Amino acid sequence: MEFMVMILAAAVRSGTPIIFATLGEILTEKGGILNLGLEGIMLVGALTGFAVSFYTGQPWLGIGAAFLAGMALVSLHAFVSITLRGNQVVSGLALTIFGTGVSAFLGQRFIGLTITGLGRVAVPGLSTIPVVGRIFFEHDLLVYVSYFLVAFLWWFLVSTRAGLHLRAVGDTPRVAEAMGIDVTRVRYLATLLGGGIVAVGGAYLSVVYTNIWTEGMSAGRGWIAVALVIFAIWHPGRAAFGAYLFGGVVAFQLRLQAAGTRVPIPLLMMLPYLLTIVVLVFITIRQGKGILFGSPASLGQPYFREEST
Amino acid sequence: MRKITWIVVGLLVVFLGAGALAFEPISPEELRVGFVYVGPVGDGGWTFMHDLSRRSIEEKFPGATTSFVEAVPVGPDAVRVMETFIRHGAQLVFATSFGYMDQVIEVAQRHPEVIFMHCSGYRMADNVGVYFGRMYQARYLSGLVAGSLTESNVIGYVAAHPIPEVVRMINAFTLGVREVNPYAVVRVVWLFSWYDPGKETEATKALIDAGSDVIAMHADSGATALAAEEAGVYVIGYNSDMSRFAPTRHLTAPIWNWSVLTTYVAEQVINGTWRPENLWWGMDTGIVDLAPFGPAVPEEVRNLVGAARERIVEGAWKVFTGPIRDQQGAIRVAEGEVMSDEDLLSFSWFVEGVEGEIPARGN
Amino acid sequence: MSRMLRVEKRLTQTVWQDVFVTLLSLVLALLFGAVFLRALGVSPWEAYSEMFRASMGDFFGVTETIGKATPIMIAGVGVLLAFKMSVWNIGAAGQAFIGALAATTAVRYFFVDNRFVMFWIMLALVVVTAGSWSAIAGYLKARWNVNEIITTLMLNYIALQILYYFVYGPWRDPASLGFPMTAPFPLAARLPFLGETRIHIGLILAVILAIVFWYVFRSTRWGYEIRVMGQSPRTARFAGMNYGKNVVLVMFLSGAIAGIAGMGEIAGLAGRLQPGFTADYGYTAIIVAWLARLNPLAIPLVSFLIGALQVGGETLQIVMRLPLASTLVLQGLVLFFVLGGEFFRFYRIRLVREVSD
Repeated sequence: MEFMVMILAAAVRSGTPIIFATLGEILTEKGGILNLGLEGIMLVGALTGFAVSFYTGQPWLGIGAAFLAGMALVSLHAFVSITLRGNQVVSGLALTIFGTGVSAFLGQRFIGLTITGLGRVAVPGLSTIPVVGRIFFEHDLLVYVSYFLVAFLWWFLVSTRAGLHLRAVGDTPRVAEAMGIDVTRVRYLATLLGGGIVAVGGAYLSVVYTNIWTEGMSAGRGWIAVALVIFAIWHPGRAAFGAYLFGGVVAFQLRLQAAGTRVPIPLLMMLPYLLTIVVLVFITIRQGKGILFGSPASLGQPYFREEST
Repeated sequence: MRKITWIVVGLLVVFLGAGALAFEPISPEELRVGFVYVGPVGDGGWTFMHDLSRRSIEEKFPGATTSFVEAVPVGPDAVRVMETFIRHGAQLVFATSFGYMDQVIEVAQRHPEVIFMHCSGYRMADNVGVYFGRMYQARYLSGLVAGSLTESNVIGYVAAHPIPEVVRMINAFTLGVREVNPYAVVRVVWLFSWYDPGKETEATKALIDAGSDVIAMHADSGATALAAEEAGVYVIGYNSDMSRFAPTRHLTAPIWNWSVLTTYVAEQVINGTWRPENLWWGMDTGIVDLAPFGPAVPEEVRNLVGAARERIVEGAWKVFTGPIRDQQGAIRVAEGEVMSDEDLLSFSWFVEGVEGEIPARGN
Repeated sequence: MSRMLRVEKRLTQTVWQDVFVTLLSLVLALLFGAVFLRALGVSPWEAYSEMFRASMGDFFGVTETIGKATPIMIAGVGVLLAFKMSVWNIGAAGQAFIGALAATTAVRYFFVDNRFVMFWIMLALVVVTAGSWSAIAGYLKARWNVNEIITTLMLNYIALQILYYFVYGPWRDPASLGFPMTAPFPLAARLPFLGETRIHIGLILAVILAIVFWYVFRSTRWGYEIRVMGQSPRTARFAGMNYGKNVVLVMFLSGAIAGIAGMGEIAGLAGRLQPGFTADYGYTAIIVAWLARLNPLAIPLVSFLIGALQVGGETLQIVMRLPLASTLVLQGLVLFFVLGGEFFRFYRIRLVREVSD
């Protein structure tokens, strides 16, 4: 029991950077833009968060700056994908290459330095709930922000007019246009805000999780987030579940090793990926038509407004 | 006095008598040195430390030019990188990872006029030397510290990849631990990654939750030290002094100082006195050492480590001296026997006191 | 009344426009890169000429670039095949790992001391294994419409773990002092090189594959069907084409070809399997297939240019002492400009008068 609680708490911790990245990507993709540049954005977010925290001593400023830096970087992708209607797959890959390069280049002077990150804050009341309290409510504030973001995005997509507009833009931009929605504007907003949220996931790694900066420290988490978006069928709640599952399996195998248990490591390491495929197959089979959450019909397709006069 | 250890490993070593092949002296201004790095300079660890030694060549020999290519995948890409160094005038090439071994030999055969130094390998040639540091000596000493300070008798070890180098370090460390504390065990968690600070943090927390009160590590970043400091357990760093990551909990760290070796080799090349050697240097040369002790290390432990260090530096005693038992308790090195360098280079079993597993090896 | 810019779709795209636009965006990318290089304090002219000299300035440079481009070429043809059908195979890296594993299996368990025979044994095993591996994603898509982007991406990670398992475990060569690598391949299991270069015969295979698939997509019924299914699965279904069967087949072929890329790197250049072995070309192949505009014949040329960028980037580190990061930034810039240039192939901007409402 104790062991399981620790694993689950660790799953929440190590799942959090992936949650931010996944939520950001869901927002972006709901508007119809596919962004494969998450790895690059996370790295730029991690560096910016670290650098600003280092100079100001304010981790929250660092996280805010990471958000802005993510928006700035992803604006490249937004411009190419939305305005210039370029190929989004290639643009995303270019963004990953570019972001990896920029962060490594500008990050050289921060290697070997350290910052004071966010401390842990137990949520009054909630943290005293048996089991659940220790798993979910004894973390840093940014973890709670991620809970809030999951709930908010869920609510936003389901219950708000703006969310409806966003989905319309991602599914049938032509219809959305006819409804009087400015497709270009909505897509820009979704892509930029999404990129900012992804960058916060990167900043979580440097500012909260490890308090250091090293090149390539996102270590593939951006790609996992890309996969999780589909795994979650664009559903924020399921995205959180998927991120914890990923974080959980890694934490699980590390903890089995730490407990002195003999484990076939390569087998355990491939487990989350195998599980993702299995769950995806399962969900796809059961997935009905016309559900609220699902693949945006126009995902990845550039939109061109026909002149109607 | 600088003691150079000469070792000739196996039949693969083609060693012509010294003096059979002499290299012309060159002026420092003409010296061009290329470094092949396996990781990015920004890894903060292995490659970062090597890059410091590259810069030390330029500092010690004003006018000399050094250059590097980072993140070169082990394997065929290294050939082109080394060839390009040579085409741009390099007379000396450092290949800083074991994985470049085949490629170093291949390029060296084509360019007998160029000198190659290969880190941690064992194949030599007229123009190929190998080098490494006996980091296990410092590891052993850090084990003495860890064994003295643990109260739970469980010491965690965050380890990157199950390769002989890492296994050797874990064993030396454990011998040190058990020397002062026969009841303590060393628990190993494999990361299968050299730099993933997030995973290092998580592995450290896992070890702490499983009861470790001292953590040692073999990966590139300082994430382990930070996580240990936060949790309030002692930590032993690696690569460089990591006290900045754990001001109150840092005990010490086995550290690299490749500069003594790279500048030595550069000097030999400049003087025209370079010969293919196996430079597996020990603590006496300064290539490896312990970082200054943290505030938590008591006086008697400092003295104990100091005395052991003395014996190692003087060559009076070797770390891997029997009796050494394996995990099953069977004697693998008899009393008084000393393990050969070849056995050390190919270490693929754990000594008694290690809890963990090396992935099974076949044939 | 005001003047404003209006974007219009071009009705036709001519080859001349294609070439012009592509060249123009490359020039713009280089100009922008020059600003970046200047900001780093190096002479852009010097940097570019170094890159050019290193990657295609002489025999060594050209052959090295071709060698670097060979796996990209092979994997590029592989992913192109799937892309033609709008099946997004991003698992070329994992398929190459499996190909490398299969090649090693052939050497370990089916070794014949004859270069010619051994080549065919290896090839057969690689095609079957890597093809089947990739067909898993194809089958899941055919049977339940499971998204192939995610399955192929996940299979990449799984393949890497399988590789780790064998190289750290049962296949570890005791003669390598316990280092995680297999024993060197015997000569009979090595692919021959072309002359005195480091180009292995995988290059010929790549060119043959490119030509074969160019012909298939241009002139065969099956190639036509694949294209139709890629453009409009609905039309294809009405026309009675079997989408499911072809998805599996295309993924099999796509993966088998990517597997050959892995085999070429292992049996050609490296001569043994070791864990640092990377398959970045699996991802690069995606970019290449797109830059080639899904034209198989353009794959070799585009791969060569990408290879030149990578080889030239190494030289920038050596000669201009720029970190790897700066060449990544440069590569990203070039891609963004070429992407942006695409716009002008399909659209034009006109200054128009508009009556405000």
